[in-house]
Amino acid sequence: MSSAGQIRVLLGPQSPQQNIAEAVAEAGLPAGPLAVISAAWQEAEGDIDVISKLLGRELEDLYLYRRGEELMANHPELEAAARLRQHKLMDRQRMYRIRLKQLSIAARHMLKENGDSELVASEQRHAIAQLRALDRHHLHRSESIWRDFCDAYNPDSYPELARQAQELGEIFDRCAGVVITGGNVAILINRMRLFGIDEQLEKCNIVAWSAGAMALAERVVLFHDRSPEGRRDAEVLGAGCGVIPGYVFLPNTKQRLRTGDRLRVELLSRRFSPDTCVALDNGAALRLDDSGVQQANTVRRLNHDGRFVKLRAA
Amino acid sequence: MNPLLRKLFRKGAPERAAIDAFVAETEFPLVDGSDVTFVFRGAAEAVYLRCWISGLDTAQPLQSLGDTELWATTIELPKGSRIEYKFEVQTNGNRELIVDPLNDVLAHDPFGANSVCQAHGYERPSWTLHDPGARAGELRTAQIKSRVFNGDRELQVYVPARFRSNRRYPLLIVHDGADYLRFAALKDVLDNLIHALEIPPLIAALIHSPDRLTEYGADDRHASFLSEELLPFMSTSYPLIDEPRARGIMGASFGGVASLHAAWRNPGQFGQLLLQSGSFAFSDIGRHQRGPAFDSVAEFMNEFREQPGNPADRIYMSCGIYESLIYENRSLVPRLQSQGIEVRFEEARDAHNWENWRDRLRNGLSWLFPGPLWLVYE
Repeated sequence: MSSAGQIRVLLGPQSPQQNIAEAVAEAGLPAGPLAVISAAWQEAEGDIDVISKLLGRELEDLYLYRRGEELMANHPELEAAARLRQHKLMDRQRMYRIRLKQLSIAARHMLKENGDSELVASEQRHAIAQLRALDRHHLHRSESIWRDFCDAYNPDSYPELARQAQELGEIFDRCAGVVITGGNVAILINRMRLFGIDEQLEKCNIVAWSAGAMALAERVVLFHDRSPEGRRDAEVLGAGCGVIPGYVFLPNTKQRLRTGDRLRVELLSRRFSPDTCVALDNGAALRLDDSGVQQANTVRRLNHDGRFVKLRAA
Repeated sequence: MNPLLRKLFRKGAPERAAIDAFVAETEFPLVDGSDVTFVFRGAAEAVYLRCWISGLDTAQPLQSLGDTELWATTIELPKGSRIEYKFEVQTNGNRELIVDPLNDVLAHDPFGANSVCQAHGYERPSWTLHDPGARAGELRTAQIKSRVFNGDRELQVYVPARFRSNRRYPLLIVHDGADYLRFAALKDVLDNLIHALEIPPLIAALIHSPDRLTEYGADDRHASFLSEELLPFMSTSYPLIDEPRARGIMGASFGGVASLHAAWRNPGQFGQLLLQSGSFAFSDIGRHQRGPAFDSVAEFMNEFREQPGNPADRIYMSCGIYESLIYENRSLVPRLQSQGIEVRFEEARDAHNWENWRDRLRNGLSWLFPGPLWLVYE
């Protein structure tokens, strides 16, 4: 796999329109087989015939989900530790959510304020700064939970993990790039971290959509304004792989976000600034390399004034 | 008069053939905006509309339309309403309750069937219908030897599709489980909501009582049965998440009372309650105005209102606004909230029936047990 000038292609959901083949062709990905990470599909992992047909290439799924399940089944102590880690992460997320709710309400109220523009602007900045501080705190705490787990269960101290990591490394070596599918972003991150894939991605050409794209940023931000349980404030789930810094990827915003609610969009955009919040809707294709955005087809970013604007190539 | 009936009668009383054609090509009852006209055809001394809606006459007479064997009455029903009704037909001095012969839409409950009137704007939610694309869970039968009730108790257990013994699942205890399955499409609802990621895969214990008005009416034996017999049985039989937030109880009507009572008697055991049209009778002064079956309920509710404690962390409540119980349910909400309990209360333009309870399941279940939708970005 290449080690410099890697190509990163980020896409919106591959339904109803599939644009992966077109995007890969335009990106000029080197010939050869591609590795696939479809762990986010969980039990449906490896069901990649459709992608294979579209791309017309040999694909090799890494089966991170299945590998993880087998590993846990063979090593109850590892399963118990992973469960404890998830329990702690969920608890942490729950407490973060309690605090987030209040700060988000306050920030939204501030953004509605009129009057003395200097005073209002200052209070708005402070309200958003508090949200950012909470996000940072949560990210830091979540990472420390992960660090504790990784310190105890890593390939150095765990031979089976080392063997799996070697197998995966060999697959990476014979592939021209890696495709990361959408699906459950938490599962995806968990499995990639368990097998140390997040660190290997740095040197890879990557094509990813939806959850796959989210996982490549430094922070994974969850959002859904239209879930049956009601509107919720966007939440930082935790750290992503950090392969693509400076962006927060938000897939399927047309379905999931109240895109016409300028106040919500403004808050989202300002809260995660200086990262750029990028909407990846169906049909969107974003190509980046080391020097920034090379191509952006129907990709929009969230603006600080609460509007969606077209993302342009550098 | 309804425009269709006016047209039928525009040249006076119609011939039998014209009525036959009218009946054959028309959907009943006749919905014209918020006006709903109920029509009965047949020989009778009197016909009444019975729809047990709080706020309306219990028996509203239909008017005979000329010399035609047609009877009709019109009521106003707000948009989105759904009511159940029967006709009470008097012949030879005898009265008989029947479903509307001109309306094929029926709702079933343990006492039989009622005709259903869907006012302008009502649509049955798609997630209540069987979806062949949704992976189906499985219903298993189990038995518990109950010391509390001194006999065997049969239950059904809903096990979600792709169940794995190495996973852990939330537990939902469902009162009147067989009725929820039969009359509120609970299995399809669970299959669909799990498939749509709106709720997580969960295990449901569907219980039934041979004497529900007693056992569900704030009976301490029932609370003990749930806590000391059912819960341990489920915990040893299935991989459950061992936390109150992952344990819920639900029920409708007296099942709602049983749910609240069991959680109140066993604080800290059940984190989530789903209470539908709970029969929460109480009295501020004097005796309650309902029947003797409510005596133990009112006694419990009066005590509960004095000392609610913390029966659960989150409670979803729903009630139809055409139910007399709407007053009791509304009253309960601020009392629960004052205890720091997170409460979501939903009112519907519906009455005390299974389809009302069915139609509220999505909001209740997805709020109490949020699914992975939040984490899934396809």
